[in-house]
Amino acid sequence: MPYRQQNLFLQKNMAKENKIKFGIPGGALEESMERLFQDAGYDFKIKKAPLLVCIDDPEIECFFDRANELAFLIGAGILDGGIVSRAALLESKSDAKEVCLIGTPSFDWKSSKVVLAVPEKSSIKSLKDLRGKQIITRLPGITKDFLKKNKISATVEVSHSSNEAKVPELADAVVEFANTGATLQFYNLKVLAVLLEDANALSVIAHPKAWKNNWKKEKIESLGILLKGARIAQEYSGLMLHASNDMMEEVLKALPALKKPTVTHLRGENWFDVFTVAPKKDLRRLIPRLKEIGCTDIIEFDLSKVVV
Amino acid sequence: MKNKIIKLGVPKGSLQESTLRIFKRAGFNIKIPGRSYILKMDDPEIECFMLRPQEIPRYIEEGKLDVGISGEDWIRESRAKVVEISDLKYAKQKIKKTKWVLAVSKDSKINSVKGLGGKTISTEIVNLAKDYLKKNKVKATVEFSWGATEVKPPRFADAVIDLVETGVSLEAHNLKILDTVFESSTMLIANVKTMEDSWKREKIKSLNLLLEGAVEGERMTGLTLDVPRAILKKVLKVLPAMLKPTVTKMPNTDFYNVFTSASKVEIRKLVPKLKKLGCEGIVEYPLRKVIP
Repeated sequence: MPYRQQNLFLQKNMAKENKIKFGIPGGALEESMERLFQDAGYDFKIKKAPLLVCIDDPEIECFFDRANELAFLIGAGILDGGIVSRAALLESKSDAKEVCLIGTPSFDWKSSKVVLAVPEKSSIKSLKDLRGKQIITRLPGITKDFLKKNKISATVEVSHSSNEAKVPELADAVVEFANTGATLQFYNLKVLAVLLEDANALSVIAHPKAWKNNWKKEKIESLGILLKGARIAQEYSGLMLHASNDMMEEVLKALPALKKPTVTHLRGENWFDVFTVAPKKDLRRLIPRLKEIGCTDIIEFDLSKVVV
Repeated sequence: MKNKIIKLGVPKGSLQESTLRIFKRAGFNIKIPGRSYILKMDDPEIECFMLRPQEIPRYIEEGKLDVGISGEDWIRESRAKVVEISDLKYAKQKIKKTKWVLAVSKDSKINSVKGLGGKTISTEIVNLAKDYLKKNKVKATVEFSWGATEVKPPRFADAVIDLVETGVSLEAHNLKILDTVFESSTMLIANVKTMEDSWKREKIKSLNLLLEGAVEGERMTGLTLDVPRAILKKVLKVLPAMLKPTVTKMPNTDFYNVFTSASKVEIRKLVPKLKKLGCEGIVEYPLRKVIP
């Protein structure tokens, strides 16, 4: 939906009080968002034409837009809250309140950084050498803040695509997202400084005005708990096993610490049933270890939410 | 440091999808980058290669790979000397064995293996075909087929020994099955020397434990139910015996909570039976891994 149209639509619905207007980031995040909301327990679907987000909660009205615009819409109070990345939030300079950190969009997303890079053979060897130079970026806000903090005056040029390819022809340095570093390497660029860690980590944020409204605050907070719980559950599995009395000490030592394991005495026996949750990645080491200790009936299962 | 890596071969082609699915369930994410045969796996101790299953047994025998997954058919066909670690019991379609069958044209005069004397048989598994003929004391010519074997009779061969999953392809080419030659499963195999290295042996044993658990997890499902004390004994007798059920007394009631798991096939009969016995709050849910 074009921005103006969306705005009219929003104003029309302003009157209804018991409803939050919540922004969902699109682009590459679309699939992860669908999965996250579905895992959080909502019937949730993003429809392309006409652009529409369907959610089976009449108290939530969802708006789907690019992450950068969302941060702006929430910052301006047009939306009550939404999901934005750390980079988008900092870039928008909005005074929106961070309600809860969700983490990377899904388990197969690595966390990315925002870095400042220069060509391998550049005469720029340290931050001081940036003085009077030209930096190209899609993140002018973060870049300018960084320069200001380091007391460097340099020109910041805004461009929205393939900025790595534009150095050194169109600019002396670039500020860009880096994930594995493969793109930087491909263009013979080296990292001079890291401006932001976990740049793609998502948070639920709220506009200060919505935050002052108790009902909205509660609603956004609850949604945040569900989304975060669903996101953590994607990385965790449930684990159940049987262990005898003399194994218990070793078993409890081997288990991860996120949740205290639930231990139940098995009826009329010297055995216990142990229930816990563990990161899927740890299970590769943990399950063989538990088997080695002598545990039996080990069962791993999917979890829908882990709320800690 | 270099020794702390195992080289793993996973099969390309028909077993590819199910293999990646089982590995994912086992806790390993594998990515196939573009056209490369070197796969990205999120375990720094495993180097993963995707190869034709026909070649994996030989590379393992020669020590070019430490461990790998291949069909039992290709392991036997290649005559490779490898350590068979486990039968993972999954194949292309479902968790079941794939079959190699002897087939001829529907209007052929050949109606059993005995009628093959002096005839030509086209197949991808030449060695296994020869073994089969020898066992049946029949002399016939075995020709290697590069594939599309089912189109060959009657013009290019008198009979074929071909892989069958659903039988649709044989039917489409007007063939009838005379006999089952070989039933194949999916196996985890390793190099003989690799298994003498204690670190590698432990790593492979752990991998196998996780893979076997994942195969079982795909086959099984979890079940919890509330059982009145009066019928507890009866219920425990009905439940499948593979895993020990967990029985807990529910506080302040005359009910017990029973947790168990059963194969998806068993569950179809079990759930109605438990309901009829008088169990309440029956909840079934998917499992990821089951390690008895």
